[in-house]
This record gives sequence, structure tokens and C-alpha cells, in this order.
Amino acid sequence: MPTLLKFLIRRLFAIPVTLLIITATLYGILMLAPVEVRAQLYMPRGSSNNPNLRPEVLLQQIIESHGLDDPYPVQYLRWLGRLLQGDWGWSAGFRFDVLPALLQRTPATAELTFYAVVLLIPLGIIGGGLAGAKEHRAVDHAFRVVAFVATAIPPFVLALVLLGIFYAGLHWFPPGRLTAGEEFVVANAEFTTYTGLLTLDGLLNHRSDISLSALRHLVLPCITLSMVHWATLGRMTRAMMIEEMHKDYVTVARGKGLKERLVIWRHALHNAMIPALNSIALSTASLIMGVFVVEAIFDYPGVSELIVSSSVLGAPDTAAAMGFAVYSVLLVLPVMLILDILQAVFDPRLRDELAAQ
Amino acid sequence: MTITRRFLTNWQSILALCIITGYVIVAVGAPWIAPQEDPQNPTFLRRLPGVRPTALRIPRPPRPGAPLGTAPGGWDIFYALIWGTRPALRFGLITALLTAVTGVLIGAFSGYLEGAGRLLMRVTDAFLTFPAIAGIYLFRYTLIPMPALLSTSADASLTFWQVAFQKLQLDPTMLALIAFSWMPYARIIHANFTTLKHTEYAMAARVTGAPPLRIIFRHLLPNAIAPAIVLATRDIGGMVLLEATFTFIGLGSGLPWGTLLVASRDWIIGPGGNPLTYWWVFVPATLTLIVFSVGWNVLGDGLNTALNPRTRGYRSD
Repeated sequence: MPTLLKFLIRRLFAIPVTLLIITATLYGILMLAPVEVRAQLYMPRGSSNNPNLRPEVLLQQIIESHGLDDPYPVQYLRWLGRLLQGDWGWSAGFRFDVLPALLQRTPATAELTFYAVVLLIPLGIIGGGLAGAKEHRAVDHAFRVVAFVATAIPPFVLALVLLGIFYAGLHWFPPGRLTAGEEFVVANAEFTTYTGLLTLDGLLNHRSDISLSALRHLVLPCITLSMVHWATLGRMTRAMMIEEMHKDYVTVARGKGLKERLVIWRHALHNAMIPALNSIALSTASLIMGVFVVEAIFDYPGVSELIVSSSVLGAPDTAAAMGFAVYSVLLVLPVMLILDILQAVFDPRLRDELAAQ
Repeated sequence: MTITRRFLTNWQSILALCIITGYVIVAVGAPWIAPQEDPQNPTFLRRLPGVRPTALRIPRPPRPGAPLGTAPGGWDIFYALIWGTRPALRFGLITALLTAVTGVLIGAFSGYLEGAGRLLMRVTDAFLTFPAIAGIYLFRYTLIPMPALLSTSADASLTFWQVAFQKLQLDPTMLALIAFSWMPYARIIHANFTTLKHTEYAMAARVTGAPPLRIIFRHLLPNAIAPAIVLATRDIGGMVLLEATFTFIGLGSGLPWGTLLVASRDWIIGPGGNPLTYWWVFVPATLTLIVFSVGWNVLGDGLNTALNPRTRGYRSD
């Protein structure tokens, strides 16, 4: 598929531009903070090596040595240069280098995002397609009510109710990522970490019990996360489906005696799902935001720990904030890319059109 | 059939209008529904008088004086729900309106202008990749004055932006939601503008020498704005809901509904996992939020059917 390849390359080249625009904006926002606040990040902790040095003097020294009073473009370019060299800064709130802290938590977040996306796309498209095909019938009304409530319920309330029933009540699906005993097994030298994705690593290590337990821990976060986005995708698919069902080619397909099942699932849905997928691709950022929220609710050791723990501290942790921001963008881009590929796979027109641009 | 009549023939739109009107009535009538103890210092949350401080921690079931019981901390739930309507409506309306205006303006200019328009669309795409939650995080640390641990001088700790921020009484949650939710509006308006600007009436306006701003706001915008209105209507409920979620993570702006729910978080899972044991700590507040959000959503759907030219040919109900 050379056209698809061209499309992908074009997409990949757009990523640096996107990153430049967004980081320049964010760094601009960051520069609005007073210089003293930003300087505090670099203050040495605990016993100072020079007890005679007054803190105010030290602060001035830090501002000068790090060039915190420099104009915005100078500081931004310096930060960008460091970022490209792999130096994401040091988080005062977290007492850790930002990049390793983020990377360490990435597999957990990636695993959660992957399973949620795999769950919500078919659910949304099938649910919305069915409702749209049977407009104003019982299925449609049921779908609309469920979808409205799913988008309107605060995710943490849903999560806590689910936890109450399935964890505290039935002991089926616990929070966290693994039980303490299994954490120990995974940390053991005999257990090789290939990907960091526990469901996959368990299988690769011939420990299917670990994989199974990881899956059990993922059930509730995935349901909570899919709920909102399932409904959004479903409503979009439904709207598109209704439009498609009124088009001439559907009448033709029915007229030539095609089974209604084939008309709906093979003809109309195929055309309805493309714009729906496009719309969900545009809301990838809100999906990732949902991931952070769900992680916080289920005590799931993913990337959101970085923001939640330092927002509790209340410290002006600019390195963590900036690192988290860049990281979020980097996380959104691949998901968007996957959804773009899906779209291109389903829509040959789009593939050619994009390649021809 | 006029737009208004098409809107009013849909029973779902009528229902949504009733719901929204209900919330507005509650917001306006709050002083009569749940009287303030001290009208000079109105509060959105209140503790019931005459309860021992040690007993406050445990939520109490509904009883006379507190029709919906109390939340942990002794907060009167009925009172908080009634008085929370005003800030919720204000937050939703202001946030959605400012978001829509930002997005529509950016979309209009990017659709009308050629070169600069392309750059604006790239900016829009860049913003689309950014989760609002990280934005709130940034705004909190830059715009809210932090207690400076070490400051070289007392007044140097407030920047111009922080002073402006306090004067305008914006909160970082609202600002971040506006700054990172305008993109769908911009994209929709941009798409409409790129087709509309080549229509004959737009060309005619240009030939008669109308200035660009007049063409944009007088000729093109009225024909392009409908989907943005629908989107904004749906966003009013969505913004309030998002704020409640952010409150849970500790990044919210403290609207009473969300605050109440978050204060009750430890009691939602009752003994043995039965969420109904302490139902009053979260069911009324959750229902209030759901009905609020669904109301605006259904209203948006109704507007969509009434305004969308593609559905005008056939009745959809």
C-alpha cells in the first residue's frame, strides 16, 4: 500500500511542527510565573553545603546561573535544546528526574489506553450503527438514554460504585495493577520484563496467572474509561448512520432484494463509521485526559501519579508540569495516528485524496 | 416552517427546555427554597446547626430540617444542591460562551484568510493534541500566586498576569477549559467558511467593496454559526461535569455540586460494597449533575435538528 505509506510519512512529518507550536505556547504560559517561584525549583534541599550563604543570595545566584531572567525566546530555545538532548528537568515535588519518572510509568498507562480503545471502538460503532439503523424504535431509544447517561455521569462516581459492587462486594476486580504477591514475582530477577505491559510479559514468561491477574485489574478502569468515549463515538455513528440510511444507494440495495442485515452492516455502516472515527480521533486528547482521571481514581500506578501527587503537595513544580505536558502530547499523537490509519483503511477515497494533496 | 416552529414540534426539545427552565427557576428562587441564615454573607454550603462536632464526620440520613440528609463534614446536601445551581449555571454558561467565541473567531479568520489561515489551522491541530488536564496544571502554577518560600522582595512575588487574574476573578480550571476546548468550534467554522467564501453572494459583497471584517461578520458568519451554537449548548453541561471530575483530582474550581460529591467519596462504597447503604451522599448530587448535563445535551440535539439544513427535508420524529 504505497499510498498509505505516503500518508503515514506526511503524518509523521507533521508531528514536530505540532510539538513546536504546543511547547512554545506552554512555555509562554509557564513564563508568566514569577521568576522567584521558578527559581525555587533549583534550590538545594536539606543541609546546604555552605551554611553561611543566605537563601536570598542563593536565589539570586540561581536566577543568574540558570538565566531565568532571560527573555522568553532565549529560555524557550535553551529548554528545547535540553529536551532534545533528553534532559527533561528535575521534579522538585517528585524528587526525581522527570523523564525516567514518566518512562517508568508509561507501560501501565499504555496498557490501560490500549485495552480501553480496543473495547470502546467496536462497542461504539456497533451500538451507534444499530441505533441509527433502527431510528425511533425501542433499540434506538434505549441506546440514546444509555448514551446520554454514560456521558453525563461523573466518572469517579461510576468508578466508585463499580468498585463497591465488584471489589468490596463480590471481590472480582480489585484496584491497582497487581496484588502485592504478584508485584513481588514481577520484580524478581527470574521474571524478564520485555515490554512492561504486564498482560504480555506474563505470557512471554509463561506465567499466564500474572497476565490473567493484570487483566482482572484492568477490567474496571477500562469500563470506566470506555463509558464516556463509547457513548460519544456511538452518538456520532448514530447521527451519521441516520443520514446514510436516507441515501439513494441504500434504497437501491434494498430494491435489488439485499437482506436488511447486509444493507445495514455492509453498506450503510461502512460509510457511517468513517466520519465517526474521524470525530473520535479529534477527541483523542480528551481520551488521554480520561486515562489520567481513571488512573487517579483506581490507584493505578500510571503517569498521572506525577500530577496528582504534586498537586497534593501544592509546590510550584514547573519541570514536572512542562514534562507532563510534553509527554501528554507525545502520548496523544500515536493514538491519533492509529485512528488515522484505521480511517484510511476503511476509506480508500481518503487514502488517495491525502496522498494526492 | 421556521426554525422556532421546527424546534418546538419536537417533544424532546420541549422536555429539555423544561429541564433547563427548572434549573433556572431553582437558581433564581434559591433564597426562598433554602433560606440563607445570614443573607448578608451568603454561603453555598452550610452545616446544620446543633450537631455535635464529633458527629459531623458521619453522614446522616434524610430527616426533617435536612430533606436529603447530610454529607460527611455535616454539610446539608439539599441546601448545597439548591445553592449550587447558580454557580453551576454561571460556570457552564461563561465557560461554554467564551470557548465558543474563541473558537468561532479563530475558525472564521482562518477560513477567510489564505496564508495566515493555514497557520491558524496548524495551531488548532496542535492544540487538539493537548489534554486540558495538563493545561489546568500549568495554569495553577503560573497564575495563582504561590506562597513564595523565599522572596527577594515582598511585592515582587505577584506578576502582572497574576494581578490581572485576581482582578478578573477567573479561575485556572475555567481558563484551561477555555484554552483547550475551542478547537472543535474553530474546525467547524473553518470548514463552513472555506466553502461559503466562494459562494456568489460572498463574491458579490467583495465586488461591491465591502471590507473583509464586514464580509466575515455580516455575510459569512450568520450562515456558518449554526453548528457552533449546537456545540456550545452541549458544552454547557459538559463543562460543569468536567469541573466536578477535576475537583476529584484536586484541580477543580470548587463548585458546590462537585465539592459535595468529592467530600462524600469515601462513603460511596458502603459496608460490604453496597453502594445503597449511604445512598443520600451521592445519588441526589449525581442525579442533579446527570439531569443538568442531559438537559443541555438534548437541547443541543433539538437545536441541531432545527438548524441543520440536511435534516430539513424530512421530519426526524
